[in-house]
Amino acid sequence: MRAMLELHHVGFTYRSYGDTQPHEPVLREISCVVPRGKRVLILGLPDSGKSTLTRIIGNLIPRFVEGELSGSITIDGVPLHAGKPWDLTDTCTLVAQNPQEQLLMTTCGDEVAFPLESLGIPREVMVKRIQQTLARWKLTDMMDVNPQELSGGERKRLLLATADAVDAPLWVMDEPFDDLDPAWRSVLLHRIFSGDRTVVVCASRYMDEFRGVFDSCYFLHDGILHHGSEEEIVLAFDQAAQAHVPVVESTQESDQSSKLSAEDLVIVHPRRSVSSAVPFSLSVPRFSLTTGEVVALVGPNGSGKSTFSRVLCGLDPYVSGSIGIDGNHGSREQLRTSVGYLFQNPDFGIFLPTIAEELIWSLQHNPAVPVHQHRAIIEETARLFRLRLEDNPATMSYGARKYLQAAVYYILDRPFYIIDELDSGVTYAAAFEIVSLLRQRGAAVVLITHDHTFAKNIAQRQYTIDEGKLYEQEVGL
Amino acid sequence: MTTSTFIAGKGVLYRTDARAKLLALILLCVLVFLPVSTGGIWILFGMAWVLAYHATGFRQAMQPVKSILFMLIIMTLFTPFTYREGTVVLQLGSHLMLTREALENLSILMARFLSITYLCTLYVWTTPMADINLALRWYGLSYRAALVLTLAFRFIPFIADSFAMIQDSHALRTSAIHAGKKTWKRKIADVVPTVTAALVFALKSIPYLAMSLEHRGLGRLQKRTSFRHLPARGGFLFTQMVVSVMIPTVLWVLFT
Amino acid sequence: MQQPLESRLTAIRIALTAVLTAVVVVFTLIVRVPTPIKGYISLCDVVITFSAFLFGPWVAAIAGGVGTGIADLIGGYAQWAPLSFIIHGLQGLLIALIARSKAGKDAKLLLMILAGVIGMLVMTGGYYLAGGFLYGFEAALVEIPLNLMQSGVGVILGIAVSKAVLKAYPPVRALAQ
Repeated sequence: MRAMLELHHVGFTYRSYGDTQPHEPVLREISCVVPRGKRVLILGLPDSGKSTLTRIIGNLIPRFVEGELSGSITIDGVPLHAGKPWDLTDTCTLVAQNPQEQLLMTTCGDEVAFPLESLGIPREVMVKRIQQTLARWKLTDMMDVNPQELSGGERKRLLLATADAVDAPLWVMDEPFDDLDPAWRSVLLHRIFSGDRTVVVCASRYMDEFRGVFDSCYFLHDGILHHGSEEEIVLAFDQAAQAHVPVVESTQESDQSSKLSAEDLVIVHPRRSVSSAVPFSLSVPRFSLTTGEVVALVGPNGSGKSTFSRVLCGLDPYVSGSIGIDGNHGSREQLRTSVGYLFQNPDFGIFLPTIAEELIWSLQHNPAVPVHQHRAIIEETARLFRLRLEDNPATMSYGARKYLQAAVYYILDRPFYIIDELDSGVTYAAAFEIVSLLRQRGAAVVLITHDHTFAKNIAQRQYTIDEGKLYEQEVGL
Repeated sequence: MTTSTFIAGKGVLYRTDARAKLLALILLCVLVFLPVSTGGIWILFGMAWVLAYHATGFRQAMQPVKSILFMLIIMTLFTPFTYREGTVVLQLGSHLMLTREALENLSILMARFLSITYLCTLYVWTTPMADINLALRWYGLSYRAALVLTLAFRFIPFIADSFAMIQDSHALRTSAIHAGKKTWKRKIADVVPTVTAALVFALKSIPYLAMSLEHRGLGRLQKRTSFRHLPARGGFLFTQMVVSVMIPTVLWVLFT
Repeated sequence: MQQPLESRLTAIRIALTAVLTAVVVVFTLIVRVPTPIKGYISLCDVVITFSAFLFGPWVAAIAGGVGTGIADLIGGYAQWAPLSFIIHGLQGLLIALIARSKAGKDAKLLLMILAGVIGMLVMTGGYYLAGGFLYGFEAALVEIPLNLMQSGVGVILGIAVSKAVLKAYPPVRALAQ
């Protein structure tokens, strides 16, 4: 019986640019054989190379990304190097972690249709298949809607509907359970395990739903793919996740403590959601944040966590109520100066060639720091945030870019920080570290997350947003 | 950011084939520049306006006028005074004079500008972008070029949203307590960092887009089929095309 | 063994052209800078100049032409779409023919400026001619100062931004061959 997917001694190193130190190989020794019809789980910490591996399997790397590839990959008996990515369209479907990387078209119907058109499927058959798969993933009403107007979860379902429509015998999925509500996760699991498809699932979180369902489990760590029983793999994964948890340094007690508070706030979100006719509105009866605290802000996807944060840091206006710092009303400009908001995507602020220049640029906008101290400060900051001054920000790993984003704000020395979804994309350990570093000078940190366990482990207080209302709750609920 | 150019409404234009409408549009725009009577072009504008009014109501039908109002005023102010000879209609002092020829010239220019504006706008209001794309392909635009068009539309909202967040991120980073000079000088200073960040952001998405295209089969040797197609609505395509040629021709004969 | 990126890949060229077109649209419609004389200038010329310097005539012509054309359609100026397509397409084409980066080496600054000035003339002259046909040559004169300013700013910022992007994101050269 021929194996569906074979990886033999696969290794890959991203190309380094400029004068920076050469990159370490992201994959060193990846070997595994996945028999037909088996379902396989690959666990790996964020930035461990899972996405790189999925793209290698799709024959897309190094075709589109510069680097050195070694080893061989065979899908259904055909070695990849002999073919092109489009040869795999009906054999292997990749489901990317970030739907924006894969979406092509301006309507959901066209999106699902694109690979079917490539395969030369006749229109009548195509139309039926598209209707069926959109219905299965509850996207029928979105047939003519632009995917850019869908929520994150809906876009993920659109990718899954596309995979369903193509119906390839091998699925390689990169964090497919991300962004999905628990109900949809069961649907996905059911889909993965129905029929005789071969499925490889990459994940950076071990979910309860995974227990006992996969045929094989692997752990991708330091570029090596380890095989073992489910217990062994999960244990190794947990241990690696806990490693490098830094000692949380006690925060320096600031002489002055500062308090950010909001009362009777009413926020109306300007952009209407595609699926609701009523504009989104959020009410905040009472919110307070004192320097030195870590507060969690939890709520389901789309509940308004980012909306509230944008108002709190002065980017967006509010309809009524008040926001104040130490009792005085805070104008939007004052809020922007006091509250730092770290977007979930760290790339919005990158425009300079080296980390040194990015940090110095930030320093130039902190009027409290005299120029002669600049060099010393950025060297110390780079050391704290595990960054090399001469590295090029745009080509660093995602985790490094998150650290850079935090470093930039650390230099700005704001009293209040809001960090959006820090725990998705970096390890728990890294998230802890970033939070402690920002708190070093006594700042307060609001952590937006939809992971209740993470909130429980890190925050002292918690606010929850539910059904358009923000209220305080016990941590971890 | 809305990228839709289509405006829902009623009327025969919504039921006409995109290809026929395009042909009519081109021929009518040519007609506007042919030596026809000024009155004829005004009538053409009138007909276009009535179609717009019937399709989308008064307020929307006046939108194109609003968008070119500034230019119409400039035309009224500047154009008449270029004709010096001719029958004088109005004279103010020894230098400013208004001749009949000048007024006629202004009249024909305005009629042309308004007609072309309304004809093009009507086409775009009553034809969804996807249909325009298919019509262009039918006329010979290559699949790849049409694909670039579709992909551009897919990316416009994404780039627009990302740029907004890049500006926000930048605003937060440069917010300083002494916020005195946040006038246009500061806005200029903000331009290079935000534009650079936006371009880097956009460039980074290109390899992923290319990956997705090839992964989803662009490059396969077999002939692509098509999910969308343009059926000739409201009658055979041939008839519509013939009508599209006849209407401008008839108008041309009438107005010469 | 290093495997070179074949950047003339069709998919890359399609992706590159489409994304740059979208950027031109966004920069035409949304990115507006106020000027001392009343009115706004859009930064589309910055992107067109950037595309021309880095990616060559085809990409710059399509991104510039189709991008500004789409922006006109979306912005409610449908009558301008075919004209902007020709004018900005030509602008991108000429700038690229004169000052495009070849084999990893950028054109000299003087050449870039020359190319930019030619671009300015094409853009301003083109809109003047087009305006002349649409509403008369006298009225079309009015737009010349603003167009000169917009394309001038486009050249200056285009050069600045090109250099900045090359330094900030070195892999762009691989897209450019």
